[in-house]
Amino acid sequence: MPDFLASNLDYLLWGNLAHGAPGGLLLSLLMSVAAGIVASALGLAGGTALVMGGPRLRSVLKTLVVLLRAIPVLMLIFWCYFLLPILFGIDIPGVLTVIAALAIINAAYLSQSVQSGIEAIGRGQWGAGLSLGLTRWQTLRHIVLPQALRIMLPSFINQWITLIKDTSLAYVVGVAEFTFVATQVNNREQVYPLQIFAFVGLGYLLVCGGLELLGRRWERRWRYGAA
Amino acid sequence: MTPPAWLGQNWLAPHYLIWLLKGALLAAWLALLVCIAATLLGTLLTALQASHQRAIRIPTDTFLSLHRNTPLMVQLLLWYFGVSGLLPDDAKQWLNTPHVLALPAGLSLAWPSFEFLAAFTALTLYSASFIAGELRAGLRGVSDNQRAAAQALGLTPWQTFRWIVLPQALVIVRRPLVGQYTAVIKNTSLTMTIGVAELSYSSRQVETETLLAFQAFAVATVLYLALVLLLQISGRKPVPAWRPAP
Repeated sequence: MPDFLASNLDYLLWGNLAHGAPGGLLLSLLMSVAAGIVASALGLAGGTALVMGGPRLRSVLKTLVVLLRAIPVLMLIFWCYFLLPILFGIDIPGVLTVIAALAIINAAYLSQSVQSGIEAIGRGQWGAGLSLGLTRWQTLRHIVLPQALRIMLPSFINQWITLIKDTSLAYVVGVAEFTFVATQVNNREQVYPLQIFAFVGLGYLLVCGGLELLGRRWERRWRYGAA
Repeated sequence: MTPPAWLGQNWLAPHYLIWLLKGALLAAWLALLVCIAATLLGTLLTALQASHQRAIRIPTDTFLSLHRNTPLMVQLLLWYFGVSGLLPDDAKQWLNTPHVLALPAGLSLAWPSFEFLAAFTALTLYSASFIAGELRAGLRGVSDNQRAAAQALGLTPWQTFRWIVLPQALVIVRRPLVGQYTAVIKNTSLTMTIGVAELSYSSRQVETETLLAFQAFAVATVLYLALVLLLQISGRKPVPAWRPAP
Protein backbone atom coordinates (compact mmCIF):
# COMPACT_ATOMS: atom_id res chain seq x y z
CA MET A 1 0.00 0.00 0.00
CA PRO A 2 1.39 3.43 -0.92
CA ASP A 3 2.59 5.57 1.99
CA PHE A 4 0.14 8.46 1.65
CA LEU A 5 -2.74 5.98 1.71
CA ALA A 6 -1.45 3.97 4.65
CA SER A 7 -1.01 7.07 6.78
CA ASN A 8 -4.51 8.34 5.98
CA LEU A 9 -6.37 5.05 5.81
CA ASP A 10 -7.83 5.16 9.31
CA TYR A 11 -9.03 8.69 8.84
CA LEU A 12 -10.60 7.88 5.45
CA LEU A 13 -12.40 4.83 6.78
CA TRP A 14 -13.73 6.00 10.13
CA GLY A 15 -12.67 9.58 10.76
CA ASN A 16 -12.04 10.49 14.41
CA LEU A 17 -13.87 7.48 15.77
CA ALA A 18 -11.47 7.26 18.69
CA HIS A 19 -12.61 10.73 19.78
CA GLY A 20 -16.25 9.81 19.45
CA ALA A 21 -16.79 11.46 16.07
CA PRO A 22 -17.35 8.82 13.39
CA GLY A 23 -16.46 10.03 9.91
CA GLY A 24 -15.29 8.80 6.53
CA LEU A 25 -16.75 5.66 5.01
CA LEU A 26 -18.26 4.65 8.35
CA LEU A 27 -20.28 7.86 8.58
CA SER A 28 -21.42 7.47 4.97
CA LEU A 29 -22.68 3.98 5.82
CA LEU A 30 -24.39 5.13 9.02
CA MET A 31 -26.11 7.96 7.12
CA SER A 32 -27.19 5.53 4.39
CA VAL A 33 -28.68 3.09 6.89
CA ALA A 34 -30.54 5.79 8.83
CA ALA A 35 -31.89 7.57 5.75
CA GLY A 36 -32.61 4.22 4.07
CA ILE A 37 -34.76 2.96 6.93
CA VAL A 38 -36.74 6.19 7.21
CA ALA A 39 -37.12 6.50 3.43
CA SER A 40 -38.32 2.91 3.08
CA ALA A 41 -40.89 3.29 5.85
CA LEU A 42 -42.13 6.64 4.50
CA GLY A 43 -42.12 5.29 0.96
CA LEU A 44 -44.22 2.27 1.95
CA ALA A 45 -46.67 4.51 3.79
CA GLY A 46 -46.77 7.05 0.95
CA GLY A 47 -47.21 4.42 -1.76
CA THR A 48 -49.98 2.73 0.20
CA ALA A 49 -51.69 6.09 0.68
CA LEU A 50 -51.38 6.75 -3.07
CA VAL A 51 -53.42 3.59 -3.66
CA MET A 52 -55.77 3.46 -0.67
CA GLY A 53 -56.23 7.13 0.19
CA GLY A 54 -59.12 9.40 -0.68
CA PRO A 55 -58.96 11.62 -3.76
CA ARG A 56 -57.79 14.70 -1.88
CA LEU A 57 -54.95 12.95 -0.02
CA ARG A 58 -53.91 11.28 -3.25
CA SER A 59 -53.69 14.51 -5.23
CA VAL A 60 -51.75 16.26 -2.45
CA LEU A 61 -49.27 13.38 -2.25
CA LYS A 62 -48.96 13.18 -6.02
CA THR A 63 -48.12 16.88 -6.31
CA LEU A 64 -45.57 16.54 -3.52
CA VAL A 65 -43.90 13.57 -5.21
CA VAL A 66 -43.77 15.34 -8.58
CA LEU A 67 -42.24 18.45 -7.01
CA LEU A 68 -39.67 16.51 -5.00
CA ARG A 69 -38.64 14.52 -8.06
CA ALA A 70 -38.09 17.69 -10.07
CA ILE A 71 -35.62 19.45 -7.77
CA PRO A 72 -31.97 18.52 -7.24
CA VAL A 73 -31.14 16.64 -4.05
CA LEU A 74 -28.60 19.35 -3.36
CA MET A 75 -31.36 22.00 -3.23
CA LEU A 76 -33.31 19.92 -0.73
CA ILE A 77 -30.16 19.53 1.36
CA PHE A 78 -29.78 23.33 1.38
CA TRP A 79 -33.41 23.72 2.42
CA CYS A 80 -33.00 21.30 5.29
CA TYR A 81 -29.56 22.50 6.32
CA PHE A 82 -30.32 26.22 6.41
CA LEU A 83 -34.01 26.30 7.23
CA LEU A 84 -34.82 23.37 9.53
CA PRO A 85 -32.80 24.97 12.37
CA ILE A 86 -34.54 28.33 11.79
CA LEU A 87 -37.94 26.68 11.60
CA PHE A 88 -37.51 24.76 14.84
CA GLY A 89 -35.40 27.41 16.52
CA ILE A 90 -32.82 24.86 17.67
CA ASP A 91 -29.37 23.84 16.58
CA ILE A 92 -29.60 20.70 14.43
CA PRO A 93 -26.35 18.92 13.53
CA GLY A 94 -25.58 18.98 9.81
CA VAL A 95 -25.59 15.19 9.60
CA LEU A 96 -29.22 15.04 10.72
CA THR A 97 -30.39 17.65 8.23
CA VAL A 98 -28.71 15.74 5.39
CA ILE A 99 -30.26 12.46 6.60
CA ALA A 100 -33.64 14.21 6.65
CA ALA A 101 -33.20 15.53 3.10
CA LEU A 102 -32.08 12.15 1.76
CA ALA A 103 -34.93 10.36 3.55
CA ILE A 104 -37.54 12.75 2.13
CA ILE A 105 -36.37 12.62 -1.47
CA ASN A 106 -35.89 8.86 -1.52
CA ALA A 107 -39.28 8.36 0.13
CA ALA A 108 -40.81 10.29 -2.78
CA TYR A 109 -39.17 8.00 -5.33
CA LEU A 110 -40.00 4.86 -3.35
CA SER A 111 -43.65 5.75 -2.86
CA GLN A 112 -44.04 5.74 -6.63
CA SER A 113 -42.43 2.31 -6.87
CA VAL A 114 -44.67 1.05 -4.08
CA GLN A 115 -47.73 2.46 -5.82
CA SER A 116 -46.93 0.81 -9.14
CA GLY A 117 -45.96 -2.41 -7.34
CA ILE A 118 -49.35 -2.59 -5.64
CA GLU A 119 -51.16 -1.65 -8.83
CA ALA A 120 -49.34 -4.39 -10.71
CA ILE A 121 -51.14 -7.03 -8.65
CA GLY A 122 -54.20 -8.16 -10.60
CA ARG A 123 -57.70 -7.16 -9.62
CA GLY A 124 -58.54 -10.83 -9.18
CA GLN A 125 -56.37 -10.90 -6.05
CA TRP A 126 -58.30 -8.01 -4.53
CA GLY A 127 -61.60 -9.60 -5.50
CA ALA A 128 -60.55 -12.93 -4.00
CA GLY A 129 -59.57 -11.29 -0.72
CA LEU A 130 -62.75 -9.25 -0.48
CA SER A 131 -64.97 -12.20 -1.34
CA LEU A 132 -63.37 -14.17 1.49
CA GLY A 133 -64.73 -11.52 3.82
CA LEU A 134 -61.46 -9.63 4.37
CA THR A 135 -61.58 -5.86 4.61
CA ARG A 136 -59.69 -3.74 2.07
CA TRP A 137 -56.82 -3.24 4.53
CA GLN A 138 -56.65 -6.95 5.40
CA THR A 139 -56.59 -7.81 1.70
CA LEU A 140 -53.78 -5.32 1.19
CA ARG A 141 -51.81 -6.57 4.18
CA HIS A 142 -52.16 -10.34 3.74
CA ILE A 143 -52.72 -10.85 0.03
CA VAL A 144 -51.58 -7.94 -2.10
CA LEU A 145 -48.53 -6.55 -0.28
CA PRO A 146 -46.67 -9.87 0.09
CA GLN A 147 -46.84 -10.28 -3.68
CA ALA A 148 -46.23 -6.62 -4.45
CA LEU A 149 -43.10 -6.45 -2.27
CA ARG A 150 -41.46 -9.01 -4.53
CA ILE A 151 -42.14 -6.86 -7.55
CA MET A 152 -40.82 -3.79 -5.73
CA LEU A 153 -37.59 -5.32 -4.45
CA PRO A 154 -35.45 -4.37 -7.47
CA SER A 155 -36.56 -0.74 -7.32
CA PHE A 156 -35.89 -0.63 -3.58
CA ILE A 157 -32.36 -1.92 -4.13
CA ASN A 158 -31.74 0.59 -6.92
CA GLN A 159 -33.02 3.37 -4.71
CA TRP A 160 -30.80 2.32 -1.81
CA ILE A 161 -27.79 2.34 -4.14
CA THR A 162 -28.73 5.83 -5.32
CA LEU A 163 -29.06 6.87 -1.69
CA ILE A 164 -25.60 5.58 -0.78
CA LYS A 165 -24.13 7.53 -3.68
CA ASP A 166 -26.08 10.63 -2.71
CA THR A 167 -24.64 10.69 0.81
CA SER A 168 -21.57 12.14 -0.94
CA LEU A 169 -23.59 15.37 -1.35
CA ALA A 170 -23.23 15.95 2.39
CA TYR A 171 -19.74 17.09 1.42
CA VAL A 172 -21.24 20.40 0.29
CA VAL A 173 -22.44 21.31 3.79
CA GLY A 174 -19.26 20.14 5.47
CA VAL A 175 -20.36 16.82 6.98
CA ALA A 176 -17.23 14.72 7.50
CA GLU A 177 -18.37 11.74 5.40
CA PHE A 178 -16.22 9.75 2.97
CA THR A 179 -16.01 12.30 0.14
CA PHE A 180 -15.46 15.26 2.45
CA VAL A 181 -12.71 13.46 4.33
CA ALA A 182 -11.12 12.56 0.99
CA THR A 183 -10.97 16.22 -0.06
CA GLN A 184 -9.41 17.04 3.32
CA VAL A 185 -6.74 14.40 2.77
CA ASN A 186 -6.28 15.64 -0.79
CA ASN A 187 -5.75 19.21 0.40
CA ARG A 188 -3.23 18.04 2.94
CA GLU A 189 -1.25 15.77 0.62
CA GLN A 190 -1.59 17.87 -2.56
CA VAL A 191 0.30 15.29 -4.59
CA TYR A 192 -1.92 12.28 -5.22
CA PRO A 193 -5.41 13.55 -6.13
CA LEU A 194 -6.04 10.86 -8.74
CA GLN A 195 -5.09 8.03 -6.39
CA ILE A 196 -7.07 9.40 -3.47
CA PHE A 197 -10.30 9.89 -5.40
CA ALA A 198 -9.85 6.59 -7.21
CA PHE A 199 -9.55 4.91 -3.81
CA VAL A 200 -12.71 6.65 -2.63
CA GLY A 201 -14.52 5.65 -5.81
CA LEU A 202 -13.44 2.08 -5.20
CA GLY A 203 -14.86 2.24 -1.67
CA TYR A 204 -18.26 3.33 -2.95
CA LEU A 205 -18.06 0.78 -5.76
CA LEU A 206 -17.52 -2.06 -3.30
CA VAL A 207 -20.45 -0.99 -1.12
CA CYS A 208 -22.85 -0.33 -4.01
CA GLY A 209 -21.72 -3.33 -6.03
CA GLY A 210 -22.00 -5.53 -2.94
CA LEU A 211 -25.54 -4.34 -2.31
CA GLU A 212 -26.41 -4.99 -5.94
CA LEU A 213 -25.13 -8.58 -5.75
CA LEU A 214 -26.92 -9.15 -2.47
CA GLY A 215 -30.10 -7.77 -4.00
CA ARG A 216 -29.90 -10.16 -6.94
CA ARG A 217 -29.54 -13.07 -4.54
CA TRP A 218 -32.56 -11.96 -2.54
CA GLU A 219 -34.56 -11.62 -5.72
CA ARG A 220 -33.71 -15.15 -6.80
CA ARG A 221 -34.49 -16.57 -3.40
CA TRP A 222 -37.78 -14.72 -3.22
CA ARG A 223 -38.82 -15.78 -6.68
CA TYR A 224 -38.15 -19.50 -6.25
CA GLY A 225 -38.44 -19.90 -2.52
CA ALA A 226 -41.63 -20.84 -0.70
CA ALA A 227 -43.88 -17.90 0.13
CA MET B 1 -48.59 43.79 4.68
CA THR B 2 -45.53 42.67 6.56
CA PRO B 3 -44.07 39.29 5.67
CA PRO B 4 -43.78 36.72 8.47
CA ALA B 5 -40.61 36.99 10.53
CA TRP B 6 -39.09 33.72 9.30
CA LEU B 7 -39.15 35.12 5.78
CA GLY B 8 -36.55 37.69 6.77
CA GLN B 9 -36.72 41.44 6.40
CA ASN B 10 -36.41 41.92 2.69
CA TRP B 11 -37.10 40.42 -0.60
CA LEU B 12 -34.06 39.98 -2.87
CA ALA B 13 -32.68 43.05 -4.61
CA PRO B 14 -32.93 42.86 -8.43
CA HIS B 15 -29.22 42.30 -9.01
CA TYR B 16 -29.36 39.16 -6.87
CA LEU B 17 -32.20 37.88 -9.02
CA ILE B 18 -30.00 38.49 -12.05
CA TRP B 19 -27.23 36.41 -10.45
CA LEU B 20 -29.69 33.59 -10.00
CA LEU B 21 -30.99 33.89 -13.56
CA LYS B 22 -27.46 33.80 -14.90
CA GLY B 23 -26.87 30.69 -12.82
CA ALA B 24 -29.98 29.07 -14.29
CA LEU B 25 -28.83 29.91 -17.82
CA LEU B 26 -25.42 28.38 -17.21
CA ALA B 27 -27.04 25.26 -15.72
CA ALA B 28 -29.32 24.98 -18.77
CA TRP B 29 -26.41 25.47 -21.20
CA LEU B 30 -24.27 22.85 -19.44
CA ALA B 31 -27.23 20.44 -19.30
CA LEU B 32 -27.94 20.90 -23.00
CA LEU B 33 -24.34 20.19 -24.02
CA VAL B 34 -24.19 17.18 -21.69
CA CYS B 35 -27.49 15.76 -22.99
CA ILE B 36 -26.28 15.92 -26.60
CA ALA B 37 -22.84 14.46 -25.88
CA ALA B 38 -24.15 11.80 -23.48
CA THR B 39 -26.79 10.62 -25.96
CA LEU B 40 -24.14 10.18 -28.65
CA LEU B 41 -21.74 8.42 -26.28
CA GLY B 42 -24.59 6.36 -24.80
CA THR B 43 -25.53 5.17 -28.29
CA LEU B 44 -21.95 4.17 -28.96
CA LEU B 45 -21.76 2.31 -25.61
CA THR B 46 -25.01 0.47 -26.39
CA ALA B 47 -23.59 -0.64 -29.71
CA LEU B 48 -20.32 -1.78 -28.08
CA GLN B 49 -22.25 -3.65 -25.42
CA ALA B 50 -24.16 -5.57 -28.08
CA SER B 51 -20.86 -6.73 -29.60
CA HIS B 52 -20.25 -10.45 -29.91
CA GLN B 53 -16.58 -10.03 -29.07
CA ARG B 54 -15.70 -10.34 -25.41
CA ALA B 55 -12.68 -8.10 -25.86
CA ILE B 56 -15.10 -5.28 -26.63
CA ARG B 57 -17.99 -6.23 -24.38
CA ILE B 58 -16.10 -6.72 -21.11
CA PRO B 59 -14.34 -3.31 -21.08
CA THR B 60 -17.67 -1.67 -21.98
CA ASP B 61 -19.47 -3.41 -19.11
CA THR B 62 -16.67 -2.43 -16.72
CA PHE B 63 -16.88 1.19 -17.86
CA LEU B 64 -20.64 1.25 -17.31
CA SER B 65 -20.48 -0.41 -13.90
CA LEU B 66 -17.68 1.90 -12.70
CA HIS B 67 -19.61 4.99 -13.69
CA ARG B 68 -22.99 3.85 -12.40
CA ASN B 69 -21.86 2.54 -9.03
CA THR B 70 -19.73 5.46 -7.88
CA PRO B 71 -21.08 8.87 -6.87
CA LEU B 72 -21.06 11.62 -9.47
CA MET B 73 -19.49 13.85 -6.81
CA VAL B 74 -16.40 11.62 -6.63
CA GLN B 75 -16.18 11.47 -10.42
CA LEU B 76 -16.33 15.26 -10.61
CA LEU B 77 -13.59 15.67 -8.02
CA LEU B 78 -11.52 13.01 -9.77
CA TRP B 79 -11.69 14.85 -13.07
CA TYR B 80 -11.15 18.25 -11.51
CA PHE B 81 -8.30 17.50 -9.12
CA GLY B 82 -7.03 14.21 -10.48
CA VAL B 83 -6.81 14.82 -14.17
CA SER B 84 -5.47 18.34 -13.83
CA GLY B 85 -2.56 16.78 -11.93
CA LEU B 86 -1.77 14.57 -14.88
CA LEU B 87 -1.62 17.37 -17.42
CA PRO B 88 1.74 18.92 -18.28
CA ASP B 89 2.28 22.37 -16.75
CA ASP B 90 2.02 24.16 -20.09
CA ALA B 91 -1.38 22.66 -20.81
CA LYS B 92 -2.59 23.51 -17.30
CA GLN B 93 -1.55 27.10 -17.71
CA TRP B 94 -3.19 27.33 -21.11
CA LEU B 95 -6.45 25.91 -19.74
CA ASN B 96 -6.50 28.25 -16.79
CA THR B 97 -6.04 31.43 -18.82
CA PRO B 98 -9.03 32.77 -20.73
CA HIS B 99 -9.03 32.38 -24.49
CA VAL B 100 -11.38 34.14 -26.80
CA LEU B 101 -11.91 33.16 -30.39
CA ALA B 102 -13.01 36.18 -32.43
CA LEU B 103 -15.71 35.35 -34.92
CA PRO B 104 -16.82 37.47 -37.86
CA ALA B 105 -19.64 39.98 -37.36
CA GLY B 106 -18.34 41.10 -33.98
CA LEU B 107 -19.17 37.82 -32.23
CA SER B 108 -16.67 36.03 -30.07
CA LEU B 109 -16.46 32.56 -28.62
CA ALA B 110 -14.80 32.12 -25.25
CA TRP B 111 -12.96 28.90 -24.56
CA PRO B 112 -14.67 27.41 -21.49
CA SER B 113 -12.98 27.48 -18.12
CA PHE B 114 -11.23 24.40 -16.79
CA GLU B 115 -14.04 23.91 -14.23
CA PHE B 116 -16.61 23.90 -17.00
CA LEU B 117 -14.62 21.37 -19.04
CA ALA B 118 -14.16 19.07 -16.05
CA ALA B 119 -17.87 19.35 -15.21
CA PHE B 120 -18.85 18.64 -18.81
CA THR B 121 -16.59 15.61 -19.03
CA ALA B 122 -17.65 14.06 -15.74
CA LEU B 123 -21.37 14.69 -16.30
CA THR B 124 -21.22 13.34 -19.86
CA LEU B 125 -19.50 10.09 -18.91
CA TYR B 126 -21.83 9.58 -15.95
CA SER B 127 -25.02 10.35 -17.88
CA ALA B 128 -23.97 8.32 -20.92
CA SER B 129 -23.70 5.22 -18.72
CA PHE B 130 -27.29 5.60 -17.59
CA ILE B 131 -28.56 6.53 -21.06
CA ALA B 132 -26.88 3.41 -22.46
CA GLY B 133 -28.90 1.36 -19.96
CA GLU B 134 -32.16 2.91 -21.15
CA LEU B 135 -31.29 2.45 -24.82
CA ARG B 136 -30.42 -1.18 -24.22
CA ALA B 137 -33.71 -1.77 -22.43
CA GLY B 138 -35.53 -0.09 -25.33
CA LEU B 139 -33.90 -2.35 -27.91
CA ARG B 140 -34.69 -5.41 -25.82
CA GLY B 141 -38.28 -4.27 -25.56
CA VAL B 142 -38.80 -4.89 -29.27
CA SER B 143 -40.07 -8.43 -29.71
CA ASP B 144 -37.79 -10.93 -31.48
CA ASN B 145 -40.73 -11.86 -33.67
CA GLN B 146 -40.46 -8.42 -35.27
CA ARG B 147 -36.88 -9.14 -36.26
CA ALA B 148 -37.79 -12.60 -37.54
CA ALA B 149 -40.69 -11.18 -39.57
CA ALA B 150 -38.42 -8.54 -41.09
CA GLN B 151 -35.85 -11.15 -42.07
CA ALA B 152 -38.54 -13.35 -43.55
CA LEU B 153 -39.48 -10.40 -45.74
CA GLY B 154 -35.90 -10.36 -47.01
CA LEU B 155 -34.63 -7.25 -45.19
CA THR B 156 -30.91 -7.10 -44.45
CA PRO B 157 -29.83 -6.86 -40.79
CA TRP B 158 -29.20 -3.13 -41.22
CA GLN B 159 -32.58 -2.57 -42.86
CA THR B 160 -34.25 -4.58 -40.12
CA PHE B 161 -32.61 -2.41 -37.53
CA ARG B 162 -33.26 0.88 -39.29
CA TRP B 163 -36.86 0.39 -40.37
CA ILE B 164 -38.32 -2.17 -37.95
CA VAL B 165 -36.43 -2.24 -34.62
CA LEU B 166 -35.31 1.38 -34.23
CA PRO B 167 -38.69 3.10 -34.73
CA GLN B 168 -40.30 0.86 -32.10
CA ALA B 169 -37.37 1.15 -29.70
CA LEU B 170 -37.50 4.96 -29.94
CA VAL B 171 -41.13 4.90 -28.81
CA ILE B 172 -40.16 2.78 -25.79
CA VAL B 173 -37.16 4.91 -24.74
CA ARG B 174 -38.84 8.28 -25.11
CA ARG B 175 -40.07 8.58 -21.53
CA PRO B 176 -37.01 7.05 -19.83
CA LEU B 177 -34.80 9.37 -21.88
CA VAL B 178 -36.73 12.43 -20.72
CA GLY B 179 -36.20 11.07 -17.19
CA GLN B 180 -32.44 10.85 -17.81
CA TYR B 181 -32.33 14.37 -19.24
CA THR B 182 -34.19 15.59 -16.15
CA ALA B 183 -31.51 13.92 -14.06
CA VAL B 184 -28.84 15.76 -16.08
CA ILE B 185 -30.44 19.12 -15.26
CA LYS B 186 -30.57 18.19 -11.58
CA ASN B 187 -27.04 16.80 -11.61
CA THR B 188 -25.57 20.04 -12.93
CA SER B 189 -26.13 21.31 -9.37
CA LEU B 190 -23.18 19.19 -8.19
CA THR B 191 -20.75 21.13 -10.36
CA MET B 192 -20.92 24.01 -7.88
CA THR B 193 -18.45 22.02 -5.78
CA ILE B 194 -15.72 22.50 -8.35
CA GLY B 195 -16.60 26.16 -8.88
CA VAL B 196 -18.92 26.23 -11.86
CA ALA B 197 -21.10 29.28 -11.24
CA GLU B 198 -24.42 27.58 -12.00
CA LEU B 199 -27.71 27.94 -10.18
CA SER B 200 -26.87 26.19 -6.90
CA TYR B 201 -23.59 28.07 -6.75
CA SER B 202 -25.29 31.41 -7.24
CA SER B 203 -28.00 30.55 -4.69
CA ARG B 204 -25.30 29.90 -2.11
CA GLN B 205 -23.57 33.12 -3.13
CA VAL B 206 -26.77 35.11 -2.73
CA GLU B 207 -27.44 33.40 0.59
CA THR B 208 -23.98 34.28 1.88
CA GLU B 209 -24.23 37.93 0.82
CA THR B 210 -27.79 38.65 1.90
CA LEU B 211 -28.33 36.04 4.65
CA LEU B 212 -31.78 35.61 3.11
CA ALA B 213 -31.65 31.81 2.95
CA PHE B 214 -35.34 31.28 2.35
CA GLN B 215 -35.58 33.72 -0.55
CA ALA B 216 -32.37 32.58 -2.24
CA PHE B 217 -33.30 28.90 -2.18
CA ALA B 218 -36.94 29.56 -3.05
CA VAL B 219 -35.97 31.42 -6.23
CA ALA B 220 -33.38 28.77 -7.13
CA THR B 221 -35.89 25.96 -6.54
CA VAL B 222 -38.50 27.66 -8.73
CA LEU B 223 -35.91 28.14 -11.48
CA TYR B 224 -34.98 24.43 -11.33
CA LEU B 225 -38.66 23.51 -11.50
CA ALA B 226 -39.04 25.78 -14.53
CA LEU B 227 -36.09 24.14 -16.32
CA VAL B 228 -37.41 20.64 -15.62
CA LEU B 229 -40.95 21.61 -16.64
CA LEU B 230 -39.64 23.13 -19.88
CA LEU B 231 -37.84 19.89 -20.67
CA GLN B 232 -40.82 17.70 -19.85
CA ILE B 233 -43.21 19.78 -21.95
CA SER B 234 -40.86 19.72 -24.93
CA GLY B 235 -40.37 15.98 -24.42
CA ARG B 236 -44.09 15.23 -24.63
CA LYS B 237 -45.31 13.02 -27.38
CA PRO B 238 -46.39 15.22 -30.28
CA VAL B 239 -50.08 15.00 -31.12
CA PRO B 240 -50.46 13.32 -34.52
CA ALA B 241 -51.43 15.76 -37.25
CA TRP B 242 -54.71 13.98 -38.00
CA ARG B 243 -55.94 14.31 -34.44
CA PRO B 244 -57.43 17.69 -33.56
CA ALA B 245 -55.67 19.36 -30.66
CA PRO B 246 -57.76 19.21 -27.48
